[in-house]
Amino acid sequence: MIFLAIQYLLERRRQTILTLLGVFFGTVAYVAVSGFFLGFQGYMVQQLVNNQAQIHIQAREDFVTDHQLDNDFYGTKYAHIFWSSQPARAVGYLEVQDPQAWYARLASDPRVVAYAPIMSAPVIMTLASIVQSANLIGCDPELESKVISVPYFMVEGSFQDIAAGGNRIILGEELMKRLGAGMNQVINVSVGKGAPAPFRVVGHFFSGSRGLDLQAYGNLGDVQRINLTPNRVSEIGVRLKDYSQANAIATSWGKLAPELIESWDMQNLNILSVFAIQTVLRFSMIFTVLIVAGFGIYNILNMTVSQKRQDIAILRSMGYDTFDIVMLFFSQGLIVGIVGAILGLIVGYLTCLYLQSVSFMNVTPTNPTGHLHISLSYSIYIQATFMSIFSASLASILPARAAGKLTPIEVIRQGG
Amino acid sequence: MSIIATNINKSFGDPPVHVLKDISLEIKDGEFVALTGRSGSGKSTLMYILSSLDNPSTGTVEISGKDIAKLSEEEIHRFRNEELGFVFQAAYMIAELSVIDNVLMPTMKFDQKEKRRSSAEHLLDEFGLKDKMKRFPRQLSGGEQQRVAIARALVMDPKYLFADEPTGALDTESGDVVMNIIKEINAKSKTTVLMVTHDPDFAREAGREIHLADGAIISNG
Ligand SMILES: Nc1ncnc2c1ncn2[C@@H]1O[C@H](COP(=O)(O)OP(=O)(O)O)[C@@H](O)[C@H]1O
Ligand SMILES: [Mg+2]
Repeated sequence: MIFLAIQYLLERRRQTILTLLGVFFGTVAYVAVSGFFLGFQGYMVQQLVNNQAQIHIQAREDFVTDHQLDNDFYGTKYAHIFWSSQPARAVGYLEVQDPQAWYARLASDPRVVAYAPIMSAPVIMTLASIVQSANLIGCDPELESKVISVPYFMVEGSFQDIAAGGNRIILGEELMKRLGAGMNQVINVSVGKGAPAPFRVVGHFFSGSRGLDLQAYGNLGDVQRINLTPNRVSEIGVRLKDYSQANAIATSWGKLAPELIESWDMQNLNILSVFAIQTVLRFSMIFTVLIVAGFGIYNILNMTVSQKRQDIAILRSMGYDTFDIVMLFFSQGLIVGIVGAILGLIVGYLTCLYLQSVSFMNVTPTNPTGHLHISLSYSIYIQATFMSIFSASLASILPARAAGKLTPIEVIRQGG
Repeated sequence: MSIIATNINKSFGDPPVHVLKDISLEIKDGEFVALTGRSGSGKSTLMYILSSLDNPSTGTVEISGKDIAKLSEEEIHRFRNEELGFVFQAAYMIAELSVIDNVLMPTMKFDQKEKRRSSAEHLLDEFGLKDKMKRFPRQLSGGEQQRVAIARALVMDPKYLFADEPTGALDTESGDVVMNIIKEINAKSKTTVLMVTHDPDFAREAGREIHLADGAIISNG
């Protein structure tokens, strides 16, 4: 029956090519658009899980609620307290409560690759007449290098130069630009309490991410000292073997201690929700194209079935059964689906290779070639094949079944 | 071995129109039977029932000792493919296939295309179509198409040939050629032939004539 199905397809060449094009474009679009979006998403996720810690164990800051302090001041004497000025301030802690317990826990956890304590402080930096606020992060550069990738983005100097302490500082490129600072210049850093401390610029880095490039790094001990919080840490950053488990691990750790524990994906819900929208868009687009292609196949097959009633009748009289006739028409749709899908996969793949080779973006340390990131993941190709062939088959089922139901005498009695 | 019909009744529609009335007959192997009668007398309906294409409302049909109603779907299709050949008033050529491929179409049901190719060519040669095997149906005259249809009906070497007014759409000359071919098939290869016809001359050429009127057999012999 395949033999005759192919003859039919070849005979009405124009319609065959049109339906083939429908499936073809659907497949190409799916492969290229998915490659683009998934490549972009993969790149973004790599940035999120590499540039910053995958799990943040942070001091928890809470705010006083309206009547939280009633009892502390007045006991249970009054039913209701009216404050002329509402008590307001952050309560809770500005540092991790028991870092030693965390270090022990993290060191013995096989899912953890590395961890690094930091003391992060909002500071005012002054250089000559320029004043700039920034976030100064005190860290152990050796440990920090294992948790985030900023140490690998150095433009000048070495991240390890802050290891020895002695008020050395490394600036992000953007911060450096705003301060107008140069290497070895001395910047005054003030935390709002105590006297400003002078820090010497020993290096600068460029990550391409503005938020990061506005930060500064110093030695953990130095920052603890000027912040008047010796031996305290505000956060412990953790890197995992498998970043996709970060959410589950962070949730389970949250039950162990008062700290606020967040995974990279919890902190970037906005970005991840954009991914979800992209996925919906991607699927609705391919769905539309394939519905159009499917309707094309459906219409043309329906037409063919009614044109070929006589052929069906004579084939039935030769002993071909219902299944043979169903397959005669179903296989036409299936052939269009398979051929369209194969051509679409090839052209889609070539499109992806082309997009990958073109330089669209600025060169940054995280994207050293400036090329688009296109995903060539085989799962895209499997999905595309499945969807194309599935929609072509679905469109062929009804016309093929109608053909199978036709009996020879009802056609022949009418003289065709 | 023969075709035996017993008390065949057939009605259509609601309220039922009684088209065949209690028909019983036997067609012996090797016979050439003409089925005649006025238009609307039930000839085609009877032929379809005798040849398994349609079911009687009541009554039984036995072919080669098999009760057709009791065969499974698979058996009946194999039986049709291997034992029965059909020719209708129209040739019902498949336009996309060459003459030879049209003739070979029945052989593809059970993968016998190559095995049967030489006999298909031989049939076309016999019917004067040797040089037109590679042509397409639209390049053939009506009479030529009908000869191709007969070759197609015979390619599986069936025991029974059913023909429903095979000359009905042809001019006298082509009709005579087709009629001669059918006669020869019956004579040479002992194929049992049941032919529905309008033409009294052709009916006389058959060995036996069954005459229908209003769905009942008037004469049989
Ligand atoms: N499917 C059907 N539905 C209703 N009536 C039918 C059907 N098939 C045949 N008939 C009727 O049965 C009668 C016999 O038809 P048919 O066997 O084709 O006659 P013939 O071949 O002798 O001209 C006619 O009156 C026809 O209208
Ligand atoms: Mg008739």
